[in-house]
Amino acid sequence: MNKEMLDLVAWVIKATKSAGADNCKVNLDTNRSVEITYRERKPENIKEAFTKALNIEVFVNNRFSIQSTSDLRKGALQDFIANAVAATKLLAEDPLRTLPDPKYYQGRAELALELVDPAYQSFSPENRHDMVKALEKACLQEGGDKVISVTAQEQDGFQESLQMTSNGFAGHVQGTYYSVFTEMTAKDEGERRPNGYSYAVAVSRKDLPKSEVVGIEAALRTLSMLGAKKIKTETLPVIIENQNVERIFGGFIGAMFGRSIQQKRSFLADKKGQQIGSKHLTLIDEPLIKGGLGSRLFDRDGFSAQKRTMIEAGILKEFFVDWYYSRKLGWEPTSGSSSNLVIPPGKRPVSEIMKDLGRGILITGFIGGNSNPTTGDTSIGITGQFFEKGEPVQAVAEMNIADNHLKFWNKLIEVANDPFLSSARRFPSLVFENIVVSGL
Amino acid sequence: MGAAVPILSGSWQHLLGAENPGYFEREFGISDALCQKVLAEALAKGGDFADLFFEHTISNWIVLEDGKVSRAFSDVALGVGIRTVKGDQVGYGFTQELNEKSMLGAAAIAATIANGLKVKPAAKLVWLETKNHYPLEKLLTAVALESKLPLVQKINEKCFSLSPLVIKVNASFHDQQKRIMVVTSDGIKAEDLQPRDYLTTLVVAEKNGKREQAGWNLGGRYNFSFFTQNAIDEIAAKAVNDVLQLFDAVQPPAGEMPVVFAPGVTGVLLHEAIGHGMEADFNRKKTSTYCTMIGKKVAEPFVTIIDDGTIPNMLGSINFDDEGTPGQRTVLVENGILKSYMHDKISAHYYKLQPTGNGRRESYQYYVQPRMRNTIMLAGVTPAADIIRSIQKGIYVQNVSNGEINIGEGDFAFFVSQGRMIEAGKLTAPIKDINIMGNGPKMLQDITMVGSDLELHAGGTGACGKGGQSVPCGFGQPSCLVKSLTVGGVKP
Repeated sequence: MNKEMLDLVAWVIKATKSAGADNCKVNLDTNRSVEITYRERKPENIKEAFTKALNIEVFVNNRFSIQSTSDLRKGALQDFIANAVAATKLLAEDPLRTLPDPKYYQGRAELALELVDPAYQSFSPENRHDMVKALEKACLQEGGDKVISVTAQEQDGFQESLQMTSNGFAGHVQGTYYSVFTEMTAKDEGERRPNGYSYAVAVSRKDLPKSEVVGIEAALRTLSMLGAKKIKTETLPVIIENQNVERIFGGFIGAMFGRSIQQKRSFLADKKGQQIGSKHLTLIDEPLIKGGLGSRLFDRDGFSAQKRTMIEAGILKEFFVDWYYSRKLGWEPTSGSSSNLVIPPGKRPVSEIMKDLGRGILITGFIGGNSNPTTGDTSIGITGQFFEKGEPVQAVAEMNIADNHLKFWNKLIEVANDPFLSSARRFPSLVFENIVVSGL
Repeated sequence: MGAAVPILSGSWQHLLGAENPGYFEREFGISDALCQKVLAEALAKGGDFADLFFEHTISNWIVLEDGKVSRAFSDVALGVGIRTVKGDQVGYGFTQELNEKSMLGAAAIAATIANGLKVKPAAKLVWLETKNHYPLEKLLTAVALESKLPLVQKINEKCFSLSPLVIKVNASFHDQQKRIMVVTSDGIKAEDLQPRDYLTTLVVAEKNGKREQAGWNLGGRYNFSFFTQNAIDEIAAKAVNDVLQLFDAVQPPAGEMPVVFAPGVTGVLLHEAIGHGMEADFNRKKTSTYCTMIGKKVAEPFVTIIDDGTIPNMLGSINFDDEGTPGQRTVLVENGILKSYMHDKISAHYYKLQPTGNGRRESYQYYVQPRMRNTIMLAGVTPAADIIRSIQKGIYVQNVSNGEINIGEGDFAFFVSQGRMIEAGKLTAPIKDINIMGNGPKMLQDITMVGSDLELHAGGTGACGKGGQSVPCGFGQPSCLVKSLTVGGVKP
């Protein structure tokens, strides 16, 4: 562990208590990041930075506030802490605002999550430029004479975080990340210029796909949208491509949090133990996956991370409940945030499922839209491919799907075998029946 | 209640921004000589120009939940971003430590974008003089927490008093004081104090076992005195009226139909579906559908659209932009003809034009992009009632959220959180929670009536996302009719 970080956090805890706080929680996060973007075969942006952020949760006389600052000069911090404690005393008393019971800190897994790439320190500026050049070159070649513009980008970083409380919690995390991204704009009929992209994210460089693969994928995704148009409004089966599931499922997951439930803004509040989706819907919160983008040994409350089945064969089993809202609800806490969210993959690839369905829409992008967490009503724009006899026949755009989540997830008929691993939400493509797709 | 203590304070709270230039020198020792040394390092390998963007921002939030203000947040952001520009290439470094060593290190990173001979920055720095579009009577950080607490408590009481169906009220007040200083290699230094504040509420109501939610806010770049009892009453009444309307709401049939937009907050659709396509970077890269349309007809002659950074106290107003160009009013579409894009220095150089003051960034951690300020469609001549009367069957959109556009295609989607059906020229059943979709350039062409009732949205929460950055923007428009958009209902 970085001794400078440890010393600073220990000093902040001491200073906060000296200023009159009963308790406090302190997080110190650092991030060294690099970003390189190419366009027209030359660097468009080069950016590099090192950031620190200090976050203090102050508990005083059953009162609570959160203070954060990037001004870490000792003198400035001393004033900052004194003012923070004084101001917190002016807030309303809330006896439920306390640090967690330390019993929830116990039982932390003794496991190496492998969140740091050992090769990171040898990742050179030349490596980065080569990677971006390869992304751009592959996309330009695949896009051919349809290319208007290609932008390729690489980002990487090394993050370190230290979390300590005045009632005995201490946790330290280090991690690396790499992200590659390519975006293409193509010539189409008239003034339309469809745009598509592809990306990949990983903890270790060895787990990234080859840059050429990402670059080609960006071109293919863009070219597949040439000639897109809206078609007649119809009730159809739809397949939501793996990387887009998060966007629509996020509206459902948002209603699974303790705050939403306690504040009566969750359509799932009274649904625990009930069937809220088809038997194909299972959701697991799985924090201990080695190298996972959402992996962790403890959460923001300091609770030891545990694998939890949130939805099992369509039955809602658990909510995400942090320490504070567990006390407001009178429930046992779980965790106030998700880690790696996993929908167990099925057995068949999307291409095979399309052949079986014959006719439907493969959704490859969402646009706009929203989900009402209180009612479960959702409506969102789609782009993708209309397919017949299992083969794409028409790119579609300016179309929409709308439903209530409690009905929509009961229309899930199959889960494909392709979990998307460039996200902490490892969702495979999902297949639904009887969806109204609005267009002409 | 104890003594009046601001949630964050410091010696800076007694200084009043533009009236007292030199804040960063007084507080952090940032001298002209130091700036010139850092700029010289940023141009050590050449480049067209370099700039420094200093920021010291103090933000506060107080939150009422279940009748208590039992949660508060504060944040201090301090740092400097250093940019070297060569043509359309940008090198960028930033540091949170305002000392010479750290700043020279960040400048050296920025300099890597160029590979030529060093360029000398201007020998002398001169203050930029601009108008102040948001003068403060008192710094927001000098307003005692005790003065802020009653705002959210009164909102809570008011909402509950308006209807027995209200079961939960969440209210919060946010104030932000952003100090910035831009120093350019061509010898300009500009300093500003940008306030931002808003009062907002979210109300949940229950009727016959069914729950609905709605919210409203007021704010912008206002003095604290803006938040009067009238403002509290307006926010509470709007949120409660809207939530009660939802109990009777239906979902319209799916398909294409005429859409009438109410004045004011629906201007966010103008921002998303049309404004973004007129940001110059998308056009310089030829990824916007408007890249060949300057001087051409893009709308009917009664449509004029501006982007204006000079409207007093409006959320998107700026005295100068984040690269030191004075805030101004830019006519984008005049009587149906596309007149101008929104430019930062890079795009202005590309088009051989003057920048329009649209170069903005989220913070010192980000480089500049062309961004909107307050984007507004000017008033037409048609009374709003006549517009509604002209529709046999369509929808009336009162509030929207979560808008998004695909710039290249121009396709957009918006979520309608409040609205009504229009049947036989009259507003009928409320509607909610549906999407409307269309194509931005086509929608602009399809605006067939513009109302005389221009309304600027006095909201403080509007934030526009682009390229991973969020900046505050304002918008407004009169009532207008789009002859056809796709409405995403649940049945064909």
